[in-house]
Amino acid sequence: MWKEHYRIGSELIDTQHQELFKRVGNFIKVVQAEGKWEERIQEVKDTLEFMQHYVIFHFTDEEELQEEIGYPEIDRHRAIHNEFRGEIRAFAKQVEQEGLDEEKVQEFGAKVMTWLIMHVGKEDQKIGEFIRSQGGSQ
Amino acid sequence: MRVEYINPFFQATNDVFSVMLNLQTKRGNLKAVEELIPVHEANVVIGVTGDMRGSLLFSFPEEMALEMVKIMSGMEMNKLDAFVTSALSEVANIISGNALTYLAQNQLTCDISPPQVIVGAGGSMSMTTEKAVVLPLQTNVGTFEISISLHGSK
Repeated sequence: MWKEHYRIGSELIDTQHQELFKRVGNFIKVVQAEGKWEERIQEVKDTLEFMQHYVIFHFTDEEELQEEIGYPEIDRHRAIHNEFRGEIRAFAKQVEQEGLDEEKVQEFGAKVMTWLIMHVGKEDQKIGEFIRSQGGSQ
Repeated sequence: MRVEYINPFFQATNDVFSVMLNLQTKRGNLKAVEELIPVHEANVVIGVTGDMRGSLLFSFPEEMALEMVKIMSGMEMNKLDAFVTSALSEVANIISGNALTYLAQNQLTCDISPPQVIVGAGGSMSMTTEKAVVLPLQTNVGTFEISISLHGSK
């Protein structure tokens, strides 16, 4: 899922983005695997949590970088992150209350995948442009 | 329906397809139709409210839909399951949101409703009563259509 042109010029963030795509990819693979849902549910749960934690962890680091470099659009970017943090929390809560429903998990996986591609492919690239405009990489 | 409502959808599709799928889109000839009809197997309907009201219908051939999700996920997809249709919904949702942002630059403010998926071709959709314009979009993985039925007071 990760593409070389996603690099923004910060080694820390580029490495984290690769890891993030890897975890989202693994989660989708487990969700879309063959076999009975009931038998796969523990693995789905584990990969889901593994991915969710990393999203939150990565957002914090990326926001710290934006602060450090004085990224002018940090407030807007943080608001976008916060909205997605909210969606992740809402889904975690739903899972806690209702358990893991196959279709709901598929929908959530699709949402995370498309969100991540669009966010890293477009929004995060603006951080890359800013880093380059300031004359280099972090 | 005014033709200047159409171009933002082409622009938005081009942009979103380029970022998400690394695909270029080419527009085909516009066609006026009496109602929204899902011509292909994988369909997403989005309602619009505000200064313009109406519906948008994204209709993708099954093979194209599977290929699009394969490009995004890096995995083979073999049926229009909840994962595939949700991914398509998100793509349609992002395109619609971006198109309406372009329209907002023309002082038109609109909101969109959550996407609704319809699997299977044929049949008209009871929710629409007004005419629509069909915008065909060609890509390397197939051609799909966006039917746009928007009517505004401005």
